[in-house]
Amino acid sequence: MADPLLAFFTLMDGQGGTVVKEAPKFDLDLYIQNYRGRTRFDRLFLVGRSSVPLCIDALKAAIAEAKRGRDPQRYREAVDCLRIAAPNEPEAQFDYAWLDGVEASNRNETHRLTAELKGYKNNLIKESVRMGNEDLGKHLESIGDLNGAAEAYSRMRPDVSTPKHIVDVGKHLVRVALQRREWSMVNAHLAKMGGIQGQDDEKVLQPYLAITQGIAYLGQEQYLEAASSFLAADSGIPSTTYNEIASANDVAVYGGLLALASMERKALQSSVLDNSTFRTLLELEPHIRRAVTQFVNGRYSACIATLEAHKADYMLDIYLQKHISAIYSKIRSKCIVQYLIPFSCVTLDTMNAAFGHPDQPTAIEDELVAMIRGGSLKARINTIDRLVTTVSADPRGSLQASALKTAQNYEKQAIDRLRRMGLAAADLELKGQKKTGQHALGAGNELMYDESILA
Amino acid sequence: MDQYASVILAFPDGQDLSDVEYHRAARQHVQKIEKLVKDAADFGSQAAQLLEHIDPAVNSISYLAVLGGILQRERAPQTNITLLTSITRFLMTFDARQIRYAGTAFSNLLGFVGEGSLLPASVAVDLLATAILRIDPTGSMLTSHHLPLVRLALLTDSIEPALPVIEKDIVFFPGVRGSGDSRHLCDLQLSPSEYITPESGLTGKLKSSVVLQYDLLVAKCFIKRRAWQQAFDALERVISYPIKDQACSKIMTEAYNKWVLVGLLLNGKAPTLPTSVAASTRKAYSILGKPYTSIAEAFDLKTAEALKGEFESLGPQFWAEEGNLGLMNYVLAHYQRWMIVNLQKTYTKISLDHVRRLTQSAETGKELGTEAELLALLEDMTSGGMLNGRVEPAVGEKPAHLVFLAPAEELSEAGFATQMLQTAQRIKELGPIVKATNERLATTREYVRFLAREQKGGSKSIADFVGFDTQVEDEDLMTGIMTGH
Repeated sequence: MADPLLAFFTLMDGQGGTVVKEAPKFDLDLYIQNYRGRTRFDRLFLVGRSSVPLCIDALKAAIAEAKRGRDPQRYREAVDCLRIAAPNEPEAQFDYAWLDGVEASNRNETHRLTAELKGYKNNLIKESVRMGNEDLGKHLESIGDLNGAAEAYSRMRPDVSTPKHIVDVGKHLVRVALQRREWSMVNAHLAKMGGIQGQDDEKVLQPYLAITQGIAYLGQEQYLEAASSFLAADSGIPSTTYNEIASANDVAVYGGLLALASMERKALQSSVLDNSTFRTLLELEPHIRRAVTQFVNGRYSACIATLEAHKADYMLDIYLQKHISAIYSKIRSKCIVQYLIPFSCVTLDTMNAAFGHPDQPTAIEDELVAMIRGGSLKARINTIDRLVTTVSADPRGSLQASALKTAQNYEKQAIDRLRRMGLAAADLELKGQKKTGQHALGAGNELMYDESILA
Repeated sequence: MDQYASVILAFPDGQDLSDVEYHRAARQHVQKIEKLVKDAADFGSQAAQLLEHIDPAVNSISYLAVLGGILQRERAPQTNITLLTSITRFLMTFDARQIRYAGTAFSNLLGFVGEGSLLPASVAVDLLATAILRIDPTGSMLTSHHLPLVRLALLTDSIEPALPVIEKDIVFFPGVRGSGDSRHLCDLQLSPSEYITPESGLTGKLKSSVVLQYDLLVAKCFIKRRAWQQAFDALERVISYPIKDQACSKIMTEAYNKWVLVGLLLNGKAPTLPTSVAASTRKAYSILGKPYTSIAEAFDLKTAEALKGEFESLGPQFWAEEGNLGLMNYVLAHYQRWMIVNLQKTYTKISLDHVRRLTQSAETGKELGTEAELLALLEDMTSGGMLNGRVEPAVGEKPAHLVFLAPAEELSEAGFATQMLQTAQRIKELGPIVKATNERLATTREYVRFLAREQKGGSKSIADFVGFDTQVEDEDLMTGIMTGH
């Protein structure tokens, strides 16, 4: 069993995928129960391809999930993976009968819906055209033709007549765009949904909008905006309104982690810990809450340790996976910066004890160097006496320097302008030649230029 | 002989003349003396003797005219030692006020000297520079003698004596039309732009290419002297030269290439184009200066290998053809120095071994082989003032290491005030130039026409002349005027 697994993950690694060796803390079945819709397969498949301990279970679950749907392509992908990872499992064999059946019925259904839609169009009944497009879109989405689905859904837009329709179109398009990882499209679709009137609808819709917006920002690496979006999600609305995208637990994790990575200490206290709407969500993920509290209280190494303990979980999340190392390193840099603020000088050994790995005594030094070079840390290192000295701001000195510089610049600019006025007055500007009258360059003597103009 | 002397010594006659009288007398004297030199049959035989009797500092016009006469007749002036001595004496001592009336003859003389064959190059350069500054002590006016001077200085590598001239900020250029000034040339209050004109003969007319060449050659002089800041400023003057109709000259692109390299040497990073450079020019630079921008990018990337690769992909041949091989080699040699200087942003003390591993030489693309090589480099840097630090030898457990010293202590309040006052003073000194420029511009044909239309009550013309009053604060004041929006 071990060898095919090893081969599989070597392959995944080679394809640029993420491989997580540690066992995550969640239970796969309970985890997947939080979701509905196509995201279930996507999540299972991702866990299967990334997590070593859960690989086979997750892939099997993914195959079962695929067979419940009508998307033959997903089934093939999942089975292909399982065949490499565990060739002896019964699920590793293609169910050709099922595949053929599904493909044939998909074709028929597509045909039928397209024909129906054509009929509606001929009858010019707006509502029917809209519904026809919606049905076609849903069908195409379920068989995995996301491109076609997006087209069908956007064809619904001219025929909408009520606010609810607009919301429906928007949700469909956002869902498809999320699956296709088109983050800016998500933003565009959300913007169109934003201005909808109607009190009750808006409240129910609020967490959905906030969460999808957050995920879109996350995908575009705009962490602060993403954090603000997640933190604004209303916890009073049941997660069923958005669980085809993410679960309530996810929201707590996304919001907490991103806030840690992007917000200042005061902002963390006020908008995460003291935020009554978000607190309910945060209670679902107590360790995130603990990490934030530890950061705010200045216990940085404890905060990092808490986060490290749950890293495997986050590495297996469909939206976080790509960003988790960037987020973690941001949190870490912030911890180091915050740690150094009260001191003017810290020994490297103390820093190492607080943040380093016991087996790599010089790692912290390299990290500090990288942070100083990147501009996130204002300090200098003394490698001989093993000290980190923070650079104190010198407002008087910098003011003096900038005043002198301004004065000198003024002088330089004044001269430059006088010179330009002089040139203009003497009619000496370089003029473009309309004709191609290029003269030959002075032969041999590089100092002899002629008016060779490169227009 | 005596009939000569009576004419020659007639002006100035020692009386204290008013400007009007002086003007008339000088004019007449110039005509007389020219006629004398041209028509006198036995002038050739008498001339040398005449010179001995004239004091160039007192009877400058006469002395110059006689000199001119001799030079015209002399076949081999470079062997005539007396003549050369006379020229030298004259150029060192002449009366600048008188010479304003004999501009053409003076320009001819400078032309002879500027050819470089008459006198030893270093003497010629010195004489030219002295003469130019005697005519215009402010040095703020570009004349047709500047270019021969700097060319001669550069070609013969005698830059030192030219420095007083090429270090001056130039703001006036000959060729302003319409300045119908009623004041007399001899008026000592005149700004140089008013008496150094093609009409007075003290300068010829200039073309834009001459101005460009002048600044480029000045930059080359400073590059030779390793005066990077001054070279950079001169090159910046060339690349931001005002243009019309999207023009771009080859001199400008060549200057751009050098400007990039000098910027790297000066600041250790790629320079940014000044805002006054027009968009079309930027485009031309980015296309034609591609190899150089690539070099700058590689320099900023902070890997020696990238820089070396960029240099070698085109080969020394290419850089030599561009005339920039020397600069390029300098850039490569300086790369590691800048890396070491940049280390002080990160470290206060660092072991030599560490320095050696962290920095690479762009000449070899590798780290320095031994600590001794590094020590020599550091020694060179600290003594040259590039690096503010010292090397501590190994003691006990501590390895040999480099200590970066803190940047210069902040200025005392008094020191700061002095520096600010100095700058303020320099800006105040620009006052006369501003006044002169203002007067100059106020008499240009365009402005007069504008005023006339204003008085008739026409208001549409305002758009044609970007208002001097309304947009003075505008960053792009000049570009607006130059392109005539």
